[in-house]
Amino acid sequence: MGSNAHTRWWADGPVGVIVLDNPPMNVLSDDNRRGIRAALDEFREGGARAVVLTGAGERAFCGGADLKEEEELTTETVGRFLQRGDETFRALREYERPVVAAVNGWAMGGGLVLALWCDVRVGSTRAKLGAVGVKVGLMASNVQLSRLLFEGPARDLLLTGRTVEAEEAHRLGLLSAVVPPDALMDEALGWAREIAAGPPETVAALKRAINTALDPVVADASR
Amino acid sequence: MTPEKSPDVRMVAAAAITVAVVTGACAGADFESVIDADVRIAAGGATFSPAGVRDPVGCARRLTRLLGEARAKEIMLGGRTVSAADALRLGLVTRVVPAPEIGEAVSALEAGLRALPPLALRAVRDAVHATRDLTPREALALEHEHFRRLIATRDHKAAVAAFFGGREPTFTGQ
Repeated sequence: MGSNAHTRWWADGPVGVIVLDNPPMNVLSDDNRRGIRAALDEFREGGARAVVLTGAGERAFCGGADLKEEEELTTETVGRFLQRGDETFRALREYERPVVAAVNGWAMGGGLVLALWCDVRVGSTRAKLGAVGVKVGLMASNVQLSRLLFEGPARDLLLTGRTVEAEEAHRLGLLSAVVPPDALMDEALGWAREIAAGPPETVAALKRAINTALDPVVADASR
Repeated sequence: MTPEKSPDVRMVAAAAITVAVVTGACAGADFESVIDADVRIAAGGATFSPAGVRDPVGCARRLTRLLGEARAKEIMLGGRTVSAADALRLGLVTRVVPAPEIGEAVSALEAGLRALPPLALRAVRDAVHATRDLTPREALALEHEHFRRLIATRDHKAAVAAFFGGREPTFTGQ
């Protein structure tokens, strides 16, 4: 159990819960990036079998990078900015146990990347997904969407930056379930508990296998 | 047999993006052009069939990339004509609208694409195309390379300024 200015986390039985709390849009701050990594380290120590990641409130799961922070980036600092984001995304992707995203509202830009690097996503009827990078002249979530969705739907979402409502996200397979807002946490905890009940080493091996199943076959095993 | 180009299949070039618009029967050479487009939308009465394509193997490869193995096989090996509703389910098109509304839907899509910053739009198109042949690490490195270049563009700065100014941005492709 722990917290920082924008993140809270605790263990609920075998399930670790992480809440991003940076109102009103849960824009991704350095506190969130650090908080996610600290929480995962703590859950690993404590032997959690699955994790739920969500946003506080009903408006947003995560609004993505802070445009003010992005505006101030220079050629020198942009590399460090990308690296900080990557460390956090990779921590979720490479965490030994599955991570369930409870998408309670907007997941846009870097917030969508965060949701897409989780292993299972469930959403409330208020969930809205947006690959909005292109709208501000940038790109984000190309790699994740192209892997999760195949190129056809991925191109539509990435090239238009349009908003995908919960129902369409469910049809596309980006959300595994859609429930009313007040049932979302129970739904997410239900998925996580079910995963937590499985044989841990098998579950971990499955996650690793699926993570790499689409990779091109290359000689370099260190990737 | 290669069916002639049908008026039921149109290619709309919007900025750097090709949108395929299918309003009736789409087969053969039309089917091949449609799966080569960047975005596909259809009217409710549209149908899709790979019958008569010139390069079935190329089509199978392309469809597998677009839709995944199971769905590609359903279309290429199933030999059935795919309805608009099934095309939406399979991901072969991403939007289906009633026939009388298709003109409006295409104009809106076209206007939306033209309003986006062109450099980012082209970069996204190219990066999605390249991603499948790369390891995740290489793909992320490519995305970061684009990101570093794009964040220094006038269009990105214009988008951020417009966001904070509460107005619509204008992009110049610089």
